[in-house]
Amino acid sequence: MAETGRLTRSPVFAAHRVMLLRIGLIAAALALWQAVSISGLLFRDVVPSLGAIGGALARLLTDPGFYGHLGTTGIEIGLALVVGGLSGLIVGLALGANRLLGKAFEPYLYYLGPTPKIIFFPVMIMWFGVGPGSKVAMGVISCFFPIALSTAAGMRQIDRVLIRVGRSFRAAAWQMVSKIYLPAMRAPIVNGVRLGLGVAVIGTLLAETKLSNRGVGFLVINSYSTFDMPRMYALLIVVFVIAIGANALVGRLGAGHAYAKF
Amino acid sequence: MNLAGPILVVEDIVKRFDTPDGALTAIDRVSFDVAPGEFLAVIGPSGCGKSTLFNVIGGLLDGYQGRVSVAGETVRGPHAAIGMVFQEESTFPWRTVIENVAFPLEIAGVAKAERLERARHFVALVGLAGFERRYPAELSGGMRQRVSMARTLASEPKILLMDEPFAALDEQTRLLLGDKVLQIQQELKQTTLLITHNITEAVQLSDRILVMTYRPGRVKRVVPIDLPRPRTSEIVSSDAFGHYVAQIWNDLREEATRGMQDAEAHSLRAGAAS
Amino acid sequence: MTRVRRLGTKLAAPALGLVMLVLAITAIQTLIQAGWINRFVVPLPTQVAASFGRVIAEENVLGRFLLTAGETLAAGALLTGVGIRVGVLLYRFRLLRLAFETWIAALASAPLVLMYPLFLVIFGRNAMTLVMIGFVAALPPVILKTIEGLAGTRRVLIDVGRSFNLTEAQQFWKILFPAALPSMFVGIRLGLIFALINIVGVEFLINFGGLGQLINELAERYDLPGTYAAICFVVLVSVCLFAVTGWIERWLRPAD
Repeated sequence: MAETGRLTRSPVFAAHRVMLLRIGLIAAALALWQAVSISGLLFRDVVPSLGAIGGALARLLTDPGFYGHLGTTGIEIGLALVVGGLSGLIVGLALGANRLLGKAFEPYLYYLGPTPKIIFFPVMIMWFGVGPGSKVAMGVISCFFPIALSTAAGMRQIDRVLIRVGRSFRAAAWQMVSKIYLPAMRAPIVNGVRLGLGVAVIGTLLAETKLSNRGVGFLVINSYSTFDMPRMYALLIVVFVIAIGANALVGRLGAGHAYAKF
Repeated sequence: MNLAGPILVVEDIVKRFDTPDGALTAIDRVSFDVAPGEFLAVIGPSGCGKSTLFNVIGGLLDGYQGRVSVAGETVRGPHAAIGMVFQEESTFPWRTVIENVAFPLEIAGVAKAERLERARHFVALVGLAGFERRYPAELSGGMRQRVSMARTLASEPKILLMDEPFAALDEQTRLLLGDKVLQIQQELKQTTLLITHNITEAVQLSDRILVMTYRPGRVKRVVPIDLPRPRTSEIVSSDAFGHYVAQIWNDLREEATRGMQDAEAHSLRAGAAS
Repeated sequence: MTRVRRLGTKLAAPALGLVMLVLAITAIQTLIQAGWINRFVVPLPTQVAASFGRVIAEENVLGRFLLTAGETLAAGALLTGVGIRVGVLLYRFRLLRLAFETWIAALASAPLVLMYPLFLVIFGRNAMTLVMIGFVAALPPVILKTIEGLAGTRRVLIDVGRSFNLTEAQQFWKILFPAALPSMFVGIRLGLIFALINIVGVEFLINFGGLGQLINELAERYDLPGTYAAICFVVLVSVCLFAVTGWIERWLRPAD
């Protein structure tokens, strides 16, 4: 029931205020940063001036070598998502489709999911060597769980009648999967992939900080050991922007049409 | 009929809403009085503005034309003399039954021991003695609605305003709860305004029935119910009861049909637009 | 169905899971002993099991556990104190929420833990760094869940409050806050788990602290069975935290 009794400000007015608030917060944060930096309250290098960070950012973005590292990390994460995503999808489909399998094995996934995966890194190194293989492996075990669990849950929430429709037309298994299950599960799968992307990024980057000589994670820890703080801040900014952007992109791509559920 | 004058006066209420389809008049010049101790039922088809009327009288809606007054005072917001019982499940799930019922007393600042004692009285009044320490989740839907009612009664309102409180319950439970309501009303001489779409319930419980038209809602007819008091649910099998129900359905059928046709036309338009 | 058959159906699935697990471990054991899997890459399961006792005795596992647990609980306390307050603040001031809720949601998807070298520099190589990492990395979900709980209060409950003419403060403390408690706890649960994950992870990475450091040390010593055992132990701790907080959450929920 619509309610116009309460005094509401127009949405346009709110949008302006929101923009002002956001700009205000950023401006205040930057001003505070610069003030702390100049005052030397904290050990000077911990809070480098905005100019120093800006300069480091510029140097970073114009350094072709950086893009090589970025590419390495990107490929590692990409591969991790493909391997982890596909296996997660398949396992999720299997566990969601068969109640017995689901009840038998899903608890393992459910309880193993929220554990720190980076501790498996020494094992990954032993299995896959000190090169990119172990980083990809870290990404794989990170993103496998959320994708498998979301897929399994997504399978179970499909309206049963849609499955009966498919069976009544005697659709083959692969047709059921591609024409009924997957489209019906679009939202939970996209959610799982977003989560998976997030943890794959973390797993891969952390692995790179531990043992690598290439990749963005390596650059971060390298900045730490050479105490090049402006470069570390610049790297963190770039990583955050890309990670948040990728997450938003996946969300946007996965949104598709909103169709109503009856 | 109390000669001291009506306790609730509803004068020329007009309420419009802005919708994507244009301005909608939900209620169009509705006026009526309620005498002290009277049980008035307002009945109408879906879409007649009953719930809007409920929210207007209860002070939860503004932006309307006309006036609502309680014992001479204009209603400008939720009024202490008006107690509301909502259609939806409204017990506080984190409070026990007794804590739910004591809520208005707690707000009014009554000391703990006293308010629990007073609340106990109302819990017993709705027939839930013994359930004071249970949580709503442990009770049935009908019992939860009784808790909501007891909570409102605990604030000792001059007027009890109820919006289809039994809508979610099955017919038999409704009849039995109707008995309870009759008992309570008898005992407290509680002035009650009941919004409902259920004809049986309206005739069973009330002294007068206002039949509303489909949107824009107006008062189509006022039907005095001349059934004896005190009443019980046995009254539903009497001839007089049947006559009243038939008479009211006659009025309602026309309105309900209009409502259905309107709803179908609307979804046809909505479907064509997408 | 007889009681026995019903029990059988109920246990069938967990039994299957357990049986497969045992089979898998046995298969690994056999393959290693047959030489199909390199025993210097994957130690014998029996060796791993044997090293449990050794590791617990020699490596002060209890002390390490307490240290990690302490760091996690400290982060949890910060999360509760700060996270819920920020969530309440954002809910109360609609404009703030409109402006910043999406930002916080975006931060939830960012690799905040990657800032650990930065925290090392700021706080030094001590437990404070770990607590702050746990706190910062787990903050977004606590804030978001708090807002979600408050905003998700059923309309009719708010109307009940309005019908009794409650003041804004009364409306908040007597209706919105209790109604949002289950959601807030979900947020804190998520926060605790994220905190633990990040704290153990960083302990491992910077080779300082409790359980995470244990794994790193054993790995650097090439104590393979010990490393596997320590990893199992950490997984066990994490599973326990997840399960226990899950029970508490379910125990809080019947109030719905």
